[in-house]
Amino acid sequence: MANAFVAAFEILSFGAIIVLIVLGLGIIASMMGIFNFAQGEFVLLGAYITYLAYAKGLPIWTGMVAAPFVVGALGFVLEALIIRRFYAAPIVAMLGTYALGLIIRESVRGLIGGFYLTVPEPIGGSIDIGAMHISAWRFTIIVITLLVMAGCYLLLSRTSFGLRVRATLENPALARASGISTPLIYGATFAFGAALAGLAGALIVPVFSLFADLGLRFLIQGFVAVMVGGVGSFIGPVAGAGVIGTLSAALPWVIAPVVADVLVFVLAIVFIKFRPQGLIAGKGV
Amino acid sequence: MGAAKQIVRVNVGGEADVPALERAPTERAIGRKVLPIVEGVVLVAALVAPLLLQDYLTVFATRVVILALFALSFDLVWGYAGIMSFGQALFFGSAGYGVALLARDLDITNIFLVLPAGTIIGLTFALLLGGFLLLGRHPSSVIFVSLGTLTGSYAADRLARGWYYLGGQNGIPSIAPMTVGSYEFSEGPAFYYLVLGILVVVYLLCRFLVRSQFGLALAGLRENEQRIAFFGYKAQHLKAIIFAIGGAVAGLAGSLYAFHEGFVWPNMVGVVVSTQVVLYVLFGGSGTLIGAVIGAVIVEGVSFWLSDNYRDIWPIILGLLLLLVILFRPLGLISFVLGERERVGSFGARPKKTEKQTEKHSLKEKRNAAP
Repeated sequence: MANAFVAAFEILSFGAIIVLIVLGLGIIASMMGIFNFAQGEFVLLGAYITYLAYAKGLPIWTGMVAAPFVVGALGFVLEALIIRRFYAAPIVAMLGTYALGLIIRESVRGLIGGFYLTVPEPIGGSIDIGAMHISAWRFTIIVITLLVMAGCYLLLSRTSFGLRVRATLENPALARASGISTPLIYGATFAFGAALAGLAGALIVPVFSLFADLGLRFLIQGFVAVMVGGVGSFIGPVAGAGVIGTLSAALPWVIAPVVADVLVFVLAIVFIKFRPQGLIAGKGV
Repeated sequence: MGAAKQIVRVNVGGEADVPALERAPTERAIGRKVLPIVEGVVLVAALVAPLLLQDYLTVFATRVVILALFALSFDLVWGYAGIMSFGQALFFGSAGYGVALLARDLDITNIFLVLPAGTIIGLTFALLLGGFLLLGRHPSSVIFVSLGTLTGSYAADRLARGWYYLGGQNGIPSIAPMTVGSYEFSEGPAFYYLVLGILVVVYLLCRFLVRSQFGLALAGLRENEQRIAFFGYKAQHLKAIIFAIGGAVAGLAGSLYAFHEGFVWPNMVGVVVSTQVVLYVLFGGSGTLIGAVIGAVIVEGVSFWLSDNYRDIWPIILGLLLLLVILFRPLGLISFVLGERERVGSFGARPKKTEKQTEKHSLKEKRNAAP
C-alpha cells in the first residue's frame, strides 16, 4: 500500500513536470501552428537563471520568480525578430527554431562547461503522511502546476485578452478585421509559451540538476504529448501531457525500463497515426 | 527502381512536359554550364585530395566523403520529395550496428557481403518506418512525418543505449576491418578511393533518378502535393519509394562509416546525427545533389578547422550561420553560383526534335498532349 502510494506520487509529480513543459509548447503549436524546437532551450534558460541566482548568493526563489519573466521577454524579442518570418512554413519554422535552440544551448554549455550543477531545493525535507515520506519540493511542483493550469484556463476563458487569443486562433483574418492586432497576439502568445517553459526549467532544476542537454530530454516527449493531445486547444496538450507523463513514469514499474522508454514513443506514434486530431479535437480553450 | 519506373510508365502521359529550357537554346547554352562545372571541380578536388593531404587528413577526408553520401540520402528525401526526415540517422545507424554485429558475431567482413547487408538494413527500416508514417487511408501531415521520424530516431537511440547486446552506452568497439579476399581495408588512401568510387556511382544513379520522369513527379510532389495527386499519381506511394531509396543510401553510408571508424555508438542512430545531416543539406543547398555533397564538405571541413582553436564557440557559430542561411539563403550556398532555372533542371529523355520545329510548334504539341 505504501509502495503503491509512493509510486503514484512519483508518477503524478513526473506527469506534472511534463504538463508544465508541454503547456507552453502546446500553446505555441496551437496558436501559430509551429513546433518550437527551441522550447527545450527555454526550459534550459529558466534552469540556468535559477542557478545563476543561487550562485550569486541570492535566495533561490528570486531566480525562480525571475526566470519566467526573463525567458518570456527573450521569447517576445525572438518572435518579433525571427520567428515571425516562419509562420507560413511549418517545416522551415522547425529548422529555424532548431538553429535558435542550438545557439542558446551551446551558449549555455559554454557558460557552465560540461558539468552537472546542482541547485538545492528551496523547500527541502519531506512531508510525512503516516509512515510514508514524500519530497516536499516535488509536492510543491504539483501544486504550482495545478495553479498554473488553472491560471491559464481562467486567462484564456474568462478575460478579454483570452477572448482575443481565441479569436486569433480560430480565425485570424476575421480577428484582424475586427480590430485585433494579431501580430501582437502572436508575440504575446509566444512570449507566454516561452515564460511557461522558463518557469518549468526553474522548478525542475533542483530535481534534475543543471546540464546543457536538460531541455533536449523533454523536447521530444513534449512534441509527442502535444500531438497525442491534439493541436488547437488548451486542454488537448494538457491531456496529452498527462497521458505521456503518466505512461513514461508508470511503465518502468511494470516492464523493463529500456522497453518502457521505447514503448511509450511507439504507442504514441501509432495512436497519432490512427487518430491524427489527437485525444481532444477542436479549437478553443 | 523497378517499381519506380513502372509507376512512371503508367502515369506519365506523353512528352507533355517540355521544359522551358528546351525552347531557348541560346539561354540554355549559357545557363547549363555551371552545374557540370561545379560537379567536375568537386570531383577533381576529391580525386587529388589524398595526394595533397597528410595521412591523418586523408582519414578525415574519408569520413567527410562518407558523410556526403549520407547527406545525399537526406537530400533525395527532403530536397527532391519534400519529406522532412528528422530521423535519417535511424537508417544510417541501424545499418552501422547491423554490420558491426555481422563482424562481431559472425566474422563476416567481406565487402561484397557487408555493404549490401547494410544497404538492405537501411532499406528495410526505411520501408517499415516510411510505410507506416507515409502510407495509409489518410495522407499524413508534414508535421506528423517529421516528428514521427524524429521520435523514431530518438527511440532507437534510447533503445541502443539501454540494450546490453548492442553494447549499451559504449556501443560496439573495435570492429574488424572490411576485407576483399585477404586484403583488409584500413584507414588511408585505399579506403578513401573506395568510398569516393561508391559516392560517384551512387551520385550518378541518384542524378539519373532525379532527372527521370520519376524525379519530375517527385519535384511536383515537393512543390504541390495536391496537384500531383490530381494528376493521378499515387503521391503516398511515390513518397514511400523515395523514402526507402533514401534509407538504402543512408544504410550504405552507415555501414561504410562503421567500418571506417571501427566502432558504432548510440549517437549514430540518434537525434544528433539526424540533425547533423539536415545541417549539411541546408547549408549546401537542398534540391541539388551536389549541394548536399558540398554542404557536408563545408560543414565538416570548417568544423574540423575551427574545433582546434575555437572548440567552444564553433557550435554557436554553426547555429548562427544556419539561422542566416534559413532566413536569407533558403536554397543554400549553392544558390550563389547556381541559377534557379538550372537548379530545377530538366527531366526525362530529351525529346527528339526536327530542326524546323519552332516554339509555336512545340507549344501546340503540348496543348495536344494535355488531356
